[in-house]
Amino acid sequence: MSELTLIILRLAFLALLWVFVFAIVYALRSDLFGPHTRRAAETPPPAAPYPSAPLPPPAAAASAMPPAQATVTERLAAQRAVPNVPSPGLPRRDGGGHGRARRLVITGGPRAGLEIDLPDDQLTIGRSSDSDLVIRDDYTSTHHARLMVWNDEWVVQDLDSTNGTYVQGTRVTTPTPVPPGVPVRIGTTTFELRR
Amino acid sequence: MTLGSDTRTPPLGSPAAGQRQTITQTIRVRLREPARMRNLELGLLVPAAAIAIGAVLLVQLGALGTTDSGMLTLVSLPPIFALVIHIALRIVARDADPFLVPIAVVLNGLGIAEIYRIDIAQKTLGWDGAGVRQIVWTLIAMAIAFAVLLVVRSHRVLQRYSYIAMAAGIVLLLLPMLPGIGQVTSGARLSIGFGPFSFQPGELAKIALAIFFAGYLVSNREPLSLMGRRVLGLRLPRARNLGPILVVWAAAMVVLVFQRDLGTSLLYFGLFLVMIYVATGKASWIVLGLVLFVGGALLASRVLGYVEGRFHAWLDAFDPSIYNATGGSYQLLQGMFGMANGGLIGSGLGQGRPQTVPLASSDYIVPSLGEELGLVGLFAILGLYLLFVSRGFRVGYSGADDFGKLLAVGLSFVVALQVFIVVGGVTRVIPLTGLTTPFLAAGGSSLTANWIIVALLLRISDTVRPPARGVAR
Repeated sequence: MSELTLIILRLAFLALLWVFVFAIVYALRSDLFGPHTRRAAETPPPAAPYPSAPLPPPAAAASAMPPAQATVTERLAAQRAVPNVPSPGLPRRDGGGHGRARRLVITGGPRAGLEIDLPDDQLTIGRSSDSDLVIRDDYTSTHHARLMVWNDEWVVQDLDSTNGTYVQGTRVTTPTPVPPGVPVRIGTTTFELRR
Repeated sequence: MTLGSDTRTPPLGSPAAGQRQTITQTIRVRLREPARMRNLELGLLVPAAAIAIGAVLLVQLGALGTTDSGMLTLVSLPPIFALVIHIALRIVARDADPFLVPIAVVLNGLGIAEIYRIDIAQKTLGWDGAGVRQIVWTLIAMAIAFAVLLVVRSHRVLQRYSYIAMAAGIVLLLLPMLPGIGQVTSGARLSIGFGPFSFQPGELAKIALAIFFAGYLVSNREPLSLMGRRVLGLRLPRARNLGPILVVWAAAMVVLVFQRDLGTSLLYFGLFLVMIYVATGKASWIVLGLVLFVGGALLASRVLGYVEGRFHAWLDAFDPSIYNATGGSYQLLQGMFGMANGGLIGSGLGQGRPQTVPLASSDYIVPSLGEELGLVGLFAILGLYLLFVSRGFRVGYSGADDFGKLLAVGLSFVVALQVFIVVGGVTRVIPLTGLTTPFLAAGGSSLTANWIIVALLLRISDTVRPPARGVAR
């Protein structure tokens, strides 16, 4: 075995090692850089991509909507990036943008980013699992508070909770109106209502 | 999961995942769809086997000048066993991650080649040599991993045994301290011996503890993620939730003081910190834990002689008095001289002098490989570790259930941290501590533990995918 052959074999071995590394990286490319974009454009978007919140119409969405493959969190992030308050494209079921809020958005706390549709009459909040909005932390009471409609306006009522319900930083003892965009804090969770 | 991007899968947890298919439909889908992951794995196993066998061939050509077909046959057994695992995976876990087994085969093969090379230099060949024993241990470890794959059909089962895992982990950690079976090697009480066999139970304890931490944190993370007072711009956890971290810290300190091993103690504590961080999302746990650990380690370095010695050998390695002292920096510097001798492309397998370093085939396997494969080869090895760990994190990231997520992150992080502690130690980034390099270093317990980690990651990655694919149709 001549010296030269050995050197060539040595270098070939190092090359093979790196070929192996790059073969794996090549196979992983879709994980690293995201799926091929052309394929994403060919396939139709899922039938009901995100039913719990009304999506902006395509025109408004074009800039904000992530590709179809985006995960739920990405989609939420993109929606949060869209200006929150009255988006021009949002469907208005009651005309003119007035009337009461239809969605509840959790803006702070462990479940930040969650959006739920408000029911027609009332929504209960608490630690028990029969609540409409379950908040599980050490500061929340079993039946903590409820949101209800008075005179076509949402009102929050504290149900004698231990640690209280705060509307815009002040603890409420009587049913207090909650206009859209005003932060309400329960335990470590903060939410606001949106139209 | 975006791998193999032509199966478009909606994100897990999206509303579409609610539409479950019947079992018959799922089976039909399974039969129709080629096992893309497994084909990829087969494709990668071919170069992996070529590297593992080629390395030994080069060692023989470089050190002996001829080839030895007996050893080459032995060396080709682990890749063949990997093929058996591959075929089993086609049946029991066909959507498991395709990269873990080939990467493990390559790292394991490089380790065998280098251990065999040091055997040749020390003239301990055949069944006396560490190389042949390493091959046998590899086969045992792969067989155990195979058994784990067959027995544990879903990682969720492990959640039920999290407190048993805790007890097992503690017992395994304490075993070396028992009189009679405990052994002291270079100052540290890490292994137990029965006659000619010795085993480091701490290696298996890391898996047991990862299972326990995952199970515990899944059910108890909510109080832990609540934060209390703000101190110096950092929101600290509430005092009443400090119990678990203090218990784990105390355990790590016990290991540090009684087993006299800084590396193991750092490994377990780091594992807990990362898992609590992943479970709660609060960085203040990391800050708090690091402050606790560094404080404890500094105190230990004042009180315990061996920790102080390690710090001196690290900071003033080139001081002649420390270089010549017993337990000084001789070994560390010989390893570094070896790597310097290797340079960019190395001296070539079988052509360096890695045997100069004490413990060249176990603690100092990385400098040995660094000398013979050079910076280029060493970086390829580190790249393989990076890919291995990133696959583990990816499995955790796309995991369907919280226990699986935490367990995958914990298991892959423990590999990453171990590589960092060892490679950082021999390159003088951090003080040197005696831990094994995963897959590379000579030693059966480490190999067994790491192949079990491969099996568990394969299992978790398989349970991640099937529902997503069923919906894709």
